[in-house]
Amino acid sequence: MSNTPVMEVRDLTTKYITRFGEDIYAVDHVSLQLWEGRSLGIAGESGCGKSTLALSLMGYYFPPLHYQSGDIILDGQNITQMPPDEVRLNVLGTKIAYIPQAAMNALNPTRRIIHFIQDVVRAHIPHMTKNDIRNLATERFEKLGLPKESLDKFAVELSGGMKQRTVIAISTILSPQVLIADEPSSALDVTSQKMVIKMLRNMMDEGMIKTMIFITHELPLLYNVTDDIMVMYAGQIVEEGSAREVVFDPVHPYAKGLMDSILVPEEGMRDTKLAAIPGTPPNLKKPPAGCRFAPRCKYVEPRCTGINQDLRVLRSGRASRCWRDEDELRRKYASER
Amino acid sequence: MKGYRKYFTKKIVWFMVTFAAALVLNFFLPRLMPADPVAAITGRLASGMTDATAVSRIYKQYQAEFGTDKPLMQQFFTFLGNLTRGDLGTSFSQYPRKVTDILGSAIWWTVFLQLPAILVGWLLGNVLGALAAYIRKGFDKVLLPLTLFLSNIPAFGMAVILLVVFAVNLKWAPISGGYAFDMIPNASFDFMRSVIQHYHLPFWSIVLISIGGQAIGMRSMSIYELNADYVKYARFLGIKDRKIVRYVFRNAMLPQVTGLALSIGTMIGGALVAEIIFNYPGLGTTMYRAVTMADYPLISATTLIITVMVLLSAFLLDILYAFIDPRVKAAQIN
Repeated sequence: MSNTPVMEVRDLTTKYITRFGEDIYAVDHVSLQLWEGRSLGIAGESGCGKSTLALSLMGYYFPPLHYQSGDIILDGQNITQMPPDEVRLNVLGTKIAYIPQAAMNALNPTRRIIHFIQDVVRAHIPHMTKNDIRNLATERFEKLGLPKESLDKFAVELSGGMKQRTVIAISTILSPQVLIADEPSSALDVTSQKMVIKMLRNMMDEGMIKTMIFITHELPLLYNVTDDIMVMYAGQIVEEGSAREVVFDPVHPYAKGLMDSILVPEEGMRDTKLAAIPGTPPNLKKPPAGCRFAPRCKYVEPRCTGINQDLRVLRSGRASRCWRDEDELRRKYASER
Repeated sequence: MKGYRKYFTKKIVWFMVTFAAALVLNFFLPRLMPADPVAAITGRLASGMTDATAVSRIYKQYQAEFGTDKPLMQQFFTFLGNLTRGDLGTSFSQYPRKVTDILGSAIWWTVFLQLPAILVGWLLGNVLGALAAYIRKGFDKVLLPLTLFLSNIPAFGMAVILLVVFAVNLKWAPISGGYAFDMIPNASFDFMRSVIQHYHLPFWSIVLISIGGQAIGMRSMSIYELNADYVKYARFLGIKDRKIVRYVFRNAMLPQVTGLALSIGTMIGGALVAEIIFNYPGLGTTMYRAVTMADYPLISATTLIITVMVLLSAFLLDILYAFIDPRVKAAQIN
């Protein structure tokens, strides 16, 4: 592993501007690094800014999403400062690829898969012949275990899981360095989910992509998919660490709450009360002062709402946005069992 | 391919059933009108005659000739028999002209008026609607109310407005007819010029009406498609806007094709108003006259043409859709 990250994001802030001219900061000073061969998972409830973060990382913004501040360094270039047309030509699809949340509707219903792949490839390599593109696509589909017959089909002729895997194959056809997958498996049954995840990991191993961000609302799923995890709340990162650490030893009360609200089917489960985090994520038009999670936190104290909380680095690769000592929190969690 | 054949066989059977039902209605409905067209013809011929038995003899003779003295069921089977030979009978009101002769000259006036008008209205409407959706802002703010206004003017209203403004007041165009009343149709240059002069007002009255509806439909379809997930995804793959716009407008056009097929199908019914107001020598005017004169064979024949056109365009549309929209194909064949 080299000692510079493939992509480095520093203090990225983006906002939505509503019809009434209000600013909503859905991504608030997010910093992260993506390393070759390591994948990063981002978890959080709906409305925490995960999908907006995915869009913001592309470096290409269109209304209602706007860039506010921060840097995205990729290949030594700050893509937030590039002209949008250049980002589209030289970054999207070739260096960063995106898998949308609703991959079911991501394909143009009236275009055959191969023709869409032609459009994607030609947008970046204008003179590549149809034959070469077909060979590239066939080879890639075979490598990823997708039937090459799909190439001549329309999106409606593919099943949900197949559509999702086809979208992944199309997104990565030009071997981008970074893949940003926004809930790629959330709408699928468990078997298709497994196939999608296997495929993504396979692509990392084969070097078709160098690194990957996987966004999901299912924190435990990430343990099986990614190397590192970040937990996001109200547009901010509240916890980061390795997958094992965040899943089995969460520090921030929000991360702990997410893990506790998982349903594990086991004996006696039907009779136990379902643990859930009370309330909903705050309206980002007016985020609460101080710790944004304070209104929903079990362990809230006057200090929490007084001052803004920064993401505290606990040790290398491990950080939390709670001012409390991590051992103190662990003792609190343990005493509740 | 097997799925296709099964699908189309089913379609054809259904269209045959519909056609048979329509044929029955086409024949019986006009004949249920409380009128005695034969008496009307006799009256015209016998005016001035004083011999009642002679009048009654003429009446009997015509009844026998038109077959109206026979039971209705028998008449129906005669009608069917003649139909297979392409004979639609003799017109009552324009006796002794054959119905096929009357229709044969009228249909071309209608087709040459309506088909270009519908196509031009459809094309202009779709282009304007697509532009409104793509440009938005000022263009949309002007176009949307204008098209809403246009599409809500009834056909007769539009025809009357054009007639009053351009023919009566400005005298830019003749008031009525398909050509100057003192001319006999021929291939001369003068006659052509006269036809073109008479063509403008009915043509534009149809075009203006169809622009409105088409533009509104295309605009909202395009806005919907522009916000579809596949547009965002294509953008994030770096595909150029020019290409994405092509995806969007192709997909937005699909429902508009239905609109086009339906207006071509109902062309003759739709022609009624414009043709009557401008006294255009087409099928609409013919049908209107036939109805007022209780001319059974002519009414049955014009409604038969409408039936066939609607069925044919619906059938062709079904086939066409299977080729232009894979979603429809998938739904139909499975």
